[in-house]
Amino acid sequence: MRRLLLSIRDGRGFDIGLVSVPLIFLFAMAGLPLIYNIVMSFQEVDMFSLGTFARPFVGFKNYITLFSQPETWPILGNTAIFVVASIAGQFTIGFALALFFWTGFPGSSWLRGLFLVSWVMPGLVVGAIWNWILSGDFGVLNFLLKESGLVAANIFWRSDPNFSLWAVVIANIWLGISFNMILLSVGLSAIPQDLYEAAELDGANVVQRFYTITLPMMRSSIGALVALGLIFTLQQFDLFAAITAGGPNNSSNVAQYWAWDLSFRQYDFAQGATISVIMIVFVMFASVVYVRSTRHEVRG
Amino acid sequence: MGIRKLALVGALAVASMSAFYVSARAEDVKITVWSLDRDIQPAPNLIKDFNNLKTGITVEYRQIQFDDVVSEAMRAYSTGQAPDIIAVDNPEHALFSSRGAFLDLTDMISQSSVVKPANYYPGPLKSVMWKDRYFGIPKATNTIALYYNKDMFKAKGLDPAKPPQTWAELVDTARKLTDPAKNVYGITFSAKANEEGTFQFLPWAQMGGGGYDKINTPGAVKALQTWKTIIDEKLASRDTLTRSQWDSTGTFNSGNAAMAISGPWELDRMVKEAKFDWGVALLPLPEADAKRSSAMGDFNWAIFANSKHPKEAFKVLEYFVSQDSRMFKDFGQLPARSDLAIPPTGQPLKDAALKVFQEQLKFAQPRGPHPAWPKISKAIQDAIQAALSGQMSAQEALDQADKKIKAVLG
Repeated sequence: MRRLLLSIRDGRGFDIGLVSVPLIFLFAMAGLPLIYNIVMSFQEVDMFSLGTFARPFVGFKNYITLFSQPETWPILGNTAIFVVASIAGQFTIGFALALFFWTGFPGSSWLRGLFLVSWVMPGLVVGAIWNWILSGDFGVLNFLLKESGLVAANIFWRSDPNFSLWAVVIANIWLGISFNMILLSVGLSAIPQDLYEAAELDGANVVQRFYTITLPMMRSSIGALVALGLIFTLQQFDLFAAITAGGPNNSSNVAQYWAWDLSFRQYDFAQGATISVIMIVFVMFASVVYVRSTRHEVRG
Repeated sequence: MGIRKLALVGALAVASMSAFYVSARAEDVKITVWSLDRDIQPAPNLIKDFNNLKTGITVEYRQIQFDDVVSEAMRAYSTGQAPDIIAVDNPEHALFSSRGAFLDLTDMISQSSVVKPANYYPGPLKSVMWKDRYFGIPKATNTIALYYNKDMFKAKGLDPAKPPQTWAELVDTARKLTDPAKNVYGITFSAKANEEGTFQFLPWAQMGGGGYDKINTPGAVKALQTWKTIIDEKLASRDTLTRSQWDSTGTFNSGNAAMAISGPWELDRMVKEAKFDWGVALLPLPEADAKRSSAMGDFNWAIFANSKHPKEAFKVLEYFVSQDSRMFKDFGQLPARSDLAIPPTGQPLKDAALKVFQEQLKFAQPRGPHPAWPKISKAIQDAIQAALSGQMSAQEALDQADKKIKAVLG
């Protein structure tokens, strides 16, 4: 008994006590809703049975109906394109900017700070502004493209099925650049300078130094960033709501927007939950990558 | 001894509390009302006036957001905390009445000296009905018609006293009015992928002899084909597919579109913003002698089935109905009643427009009523967008929608 008390005061029990607080919090705030969502995807749910748990189980019926709909695969495809293109764009431009600011020209540090403004803005505001920029007849983007002679006629970014998804991708890249840049800047500044000096003495040129020192030293930062990017783009909802509303004809619809549309506009909660479950699988995968890449984060 | 004393005190406490409860009850019956009306709109003001009458009924008001009406109401109803009275959007009324969530008001209405079904436009009245019983009372109504810029008509040699009467004339007029050099489109409307798209298209399908339950009839296909012609020939902006009615009509007000299809909610802004002479005409028909039809919008009042004071709640609704004549003057909303004359506002353009909207209201058709309306509506929106974006022909798109809708209707 005494030993148990002792261990709670200073020992294993104390550690377990400390860990259990966030674990319980996490379970209550994230775990339970997650389980509830999965259960719901196997049930028949409508608006009137929302308040109760005793709903008829229907097995995989929701999944079968979902995949028998003609729009399901195109929407999942859109989701993949949206995620890959957004992350690629955010990461490339973010990395380029991080390297640019890393050179440390006068004023670079506060300029870098200013970039965060785009990250602080609420998604709906960003969406509304891009909505104007991308507007077909009077949009600024079309004006610039036309004046510079790149295109002959206005592009209807939001209403042309060939462009609508890309309209949201462009806005999302803009939104995510600063976050990518800041995280990568942190990673860059953690690389010891003497490594570069040694390499320079050995005669390595800029490109070689980038590929043999910068990239390998940034591996964990990049892994974490891509995993976070996957999570952030998969939960990007505001921009779709503000710019295209998934239209025209689902050409810019993605899983996360569709799940909302099914649940709260068509009141088909079971189908909405089913899509969410499919997305959870992907986010789980991203989380594993994130955890694995940050595990080695402890540096000397 | 101690226990006895305690029991006595307890009994006293219970007695006094229930006495207090009884006296509170004897004083006033409390009725709660939920609607989306803001402080300048009808519900909160009518409630304030009603409470001042001291009828022994006290009404409490809660404002809810447009997007939350259905989900809030459902959550409240399924957990037994629903209000007594709610205002619900008309296409969603059937969802509640079909599941017994709303009180059947038929008997109360038949005995009422204030609420008389004969006084209402047929469209709004149909939207509160389910299986020939009344499950609500229309709160207000609106519809759509054709706004047109008379100055632009004159500039292009068209007669501003003769707005287009048929679809063919509409397309032809739009062709004449379109002027890319001046950034002017012939017409603007909304084919957005939400309820607005359905709201705008359904009247066209109905005029063509179709309807939500027969969406691929030749007339409805012709309607969508007409829309497609307008988009394909750039007589309207392609952004029609993603723009709301409010934003689309904004381009009409700024002189970037010569005609616009929208509702009376535009009037106040148009009077202020439009720097030209404009008029309103009835929606054009497929042929000159075809049957008219129009969309029908706005909310209905209903009493929840689990209300503890249905009689008192109905009295509150009777009061709201008795104030219908104030709706337009004080709040700029159209009452859903054909027996009330709306007094002139002193603003000639607005008064002329109102007459057209009132005429158009006679032909207004509710969407549905059907409990699964959002799914039906989604099928129609997808068809409109598939055809207008060029992914399918009008026939294919509507055939697909018909298949989806038939699956919902069973």
